[in-house]
Amino acid sequence: MSCANGKNCDETRKRRRALVALGIMMLIFIMLSGFSFLKSRNQITPDSVSFGPYKAADGKRVFQSYNCMGCHTMVGNGAYLGPDLTKEYERAGPAWLAAFLPSAGGWPTEAAVRTQLMNQDQIADTGVDSIEAYFKKYSGAQQRVERRGGGTSLMPNLPLSSEEVGQLIAYLKYTSALNTEGWPPKVKIEGLDRRLQLAHGTHAVAAAAPAAAAPAAGTVAPDPAARGEQLVKEYACGSCHALDDTRLVGPGWGGLSGSQVSLADGSTVKADDAYLAESIRQPNAKVVAGYPAGVMPAYDKLLKDEDVNAIVAYIHSLEKQ
Amino acid sequence: MQIQYQTQRLSMRFFMLMLVLFAAQVGFGLILAMQQTDPTLLAGVLNFNVVRAEHLNLGLLWILAGFIGAILFVGPLLSKRELAAPWLIKVLFYAFVATVIWNVATQALAMRGIAGWWEGQPWLQEGLEYLEAGRAADLVILVGFSILAYVVLRTFPPVREWNEIHWGLGIGVVALMAVWVFGLFYVPRLDMQEYFRWFVVHYWVEGVWEVIHISLVGFLLVLLFKVDVKSVGYAVFWGVVLVWLSGLLGNAHHYFWIGTPEFWQFWGSLFSALEPLPLVFCFWHIYLDAHQNRRPLENAPAFYFILGSVVLEQVGAGILGFSMTFALTNVWSHGTWVTPGHAHLALFGTFGMLGIAAAYYAVPIMRKATNFDQRLGKLAFWLVFTGILGVALAFALGGTVQIFVYRTLGLEWFGGDVFPAMGVFKLLVPTFGFVFAVGAGVLIFDLLTLGRRARAPVAPDARHGVAHAGEMAVHAGGVGGWSRYLTGFEAGIWLMAMWIFGAVITLGLLSFNLPRVREMGDPTLPYLLAWIGYPGLLLVTLLFVWRFLASMEARVAAPAAASAAAAIPAGAAVAAEV
Repeated sequence: MSCANGKNCDETRKRRRALVALGIMMLIFIMLSGFSFLKSRNQITPDSVSFGPYKAADGKRVFQSYNCMGCHTMVGNGAYLGPDLTKEYERAGPAWLAAFLPSAGGWPTEAAVRTQLMNQDQIADTGVDSIEAYFKKYSGAQQRVERRGGGTSLMPNLPLSSEEVGQLIAYLKYTSALNTEGWPPKVKIEGLDRRLQLAHGTHAVAAAAPAAAAPAAGTVAPDPAARGEQLVKEYACGSCHALDDTRLVGPGWGGLSGSQVSLADGSTVKADDAYLAESIRQPNAKVVAGYPAGVMPAYDKLLKDEDVNAIVAYIHSLEKQ
Repeated sequence: MQIQYQTQRLSMRFFMLMLVLFAAQVGFGLILAMQQTDPTLLAGVLNFNVVRAEHLNLGLLWILAGFIGAILFVGPLLSKRELAAPWLIKVLFYAFVATVIWNVATQALAMRGIAGWWEGQPWLQEGLEYLEAGRAADLVILVGFSILAYVVLRTFPPVREWNEIHWGLGIGVVALMAVWVFGLFYVPRLDMQEYFRWFVVHYWVEGVWEVIHISLVGFLLVLLFKVDVKSVGYAVFWGVVLVWLSGLLGNAHHYFWIGTPEFWQFWGSLFSALEPLPLVFCFWHIYLDAHQNRRPLENAPAFYFILGSVVLEQVGAGILGFSMTFALTNVWSHGTWVTPGHAHLALFGTFGMLGIAAAYYAVPIMRKATNFDQRLGKLAFWLVFTGILGVALAFALGGTVQIFVYRTLGLEWFGGDVFPAMGVFKLLVPTFGFVFAVGAGVLIFDLLTLGRRARAPVAPDARHGVAHAGEMAVHAGGVGGWSRYLTGFEAGIWLMAMWIFGAVITLGLLSFNLPRVREMGDPTLPYLLAWIGYPGLLLVTLLFVWRFLASMEARVAAPAAASAAAAIPAGAAVAAEV
């Protein structure tokens, strides 16, 4: 395998031939590359995709700004700590994403997804206006809500603005529509229960079932604060609001009731029951200094007056810790 | 042995920088490994994506520092004159340090979503795997590469006097700069962005670094064994050509699923299957070069790491790369832990170990400490070698479980479904990572303080650390047994054993396509093949390196006939041969 000194191996000719072969390879590569991006291939491009007023092209910048690829994969490239995001829009849909992204530390509940469906952009994009129809269209969202809703996730909260959330959804809509030649491979095993059983064995699934069923209780509790606590769980308010005074995504609730709050416009208000109720119904009316506007959805159409009062009573019961 | 050209000393600072960056990279790697087992660790303080960006970037940067050090050290020897424009090298060094500090600092901005957009480019950090550095750092790096290319080409003799090593290094440093340019533009389309990102990543590794690697390994072997540059030149030329013949179109294996057309699956599967050829070729040549003359090793750690580099290139890049390069196996391995198993062996093994080997060769010469105590270096080699093999094993087996749970069963809840299933393998990464880190600590300490430690007079035998190995050899029946001469036939058997296990691994990935796995959800066959393939391959690798080195060490115990030859001043020998 080597050409010893003095032996005539016709090296010069062999080497010239090798270089010619190399040139042919390069030509093939350039031609294939040219064909890859021809218009006639009809591959989707980000400038043709948007979600409401948000453009996928902007979403790609947000995606890179937060280095999402440093934990997740996109078309399979990136880190392997979190799931692949390519088809995430297709699976969970924009309302689930909108409920999840601002407070990624907690998994959205059904009520949290339902809240997002009040948004006109969501209705226009998904073509559905009820949670049942949404779950039918995006089965991944239902599965997530049922299995993980209200729990804590392993993802840290990111300081995403409402605009960035919309742009990310637009970008994920684009990647979902990207033709990736059949990757990731289609799952051919039917039934979630069966798949869970194959992954963990029968025992683990049986143990997990009662825990998931627990928060679903819908009976009305007599005490307003207790009723409020139940609603807070249902809507997963805790994904953004801590029960002490620490900041998660929004302000913490511990000792909030009755305290003085500085607002973004420079004024100060007392956090009395009326202020708290207004902040639940129309969160953007009075935004607390240091917090971005537009991240929290408005609950005025979702919650009845007695529900709002119950939540306020619950916040009232939380002492400063 | 001492240095012949004063400007060779400029390599010292790059070797030292390499060690510092290596230490930092291993530190970040350990944090990552612990975050893999507990993702809430340091959440909000130093998120996983930031730590990973640092780990990848520092990994590339210290490998580059090692390359630059090695090139600066051999440049004057290849040219028989001092380096051109040594002041530029000093500029390069300070620019390098500044870029590293800047880049490490700016990566943390990803936690707040700040990329520094201006004129359509992200100036502070880019959020793309391997190319995380922002445009500002990118441009400084481009200037740095130009300086390196300029100095190397100005130092080299006129082109008509070039031998193959000149050509390899010359093309290498120019291409290093040229390929980098493809990473300097923001690309709005995802498919096109990935297309060009692999230009940089793949063509650096498989086009440029590989060429620099082959040339440097070739020349280091010339220096270590004082062989004729012509005999290596043949290997260098055909090695480089084979790398390009397979690697140029082999890049197609990155274009299977990124939104580019299906035809890449054909070209990628076909040509990247040829990618191991140059590695087998290189592997065979290191065997020939090490065994043609039977001189004892003078600088054992340097040779240990060169051997490690070539063997891990074979195993990590060659065999593990081969197993996942076909569209039908890649469809499963892509985007799972199976790939970092390959990447850790290929990157640290092939390129990292080469930089360390070059440092072990050059630092003692520059510090006038050629009779240094080699035991620490050998110990460090075994620790990092076992450590990285273990890390790769954990990734590969954990990845196999991940494929089944995540892809075959379609369970996408990482915290609830995928992580619990991967359980024990998640713990194995920090465990072997710790072994690796201890080894890295030993070698960094050794190289930093080599020649500066209070030196106890070293007995000529102890310096090789074989007083002991020799005794062992005697017990094992003299120079026979485990440390007998390694014949070409035996080396071939070892190589074949590696490839047989590689075939088992490939079949294991392929078996995920079977209806029994995909439709009935029975993972027995892929699990079984992975459990035979990966541990088998890595064990054979470990044993082979042990066997190879035992055979080399035994030469010291052999009669002193060869030592007379070794006593010729190395510089003179090199000068005569180059």
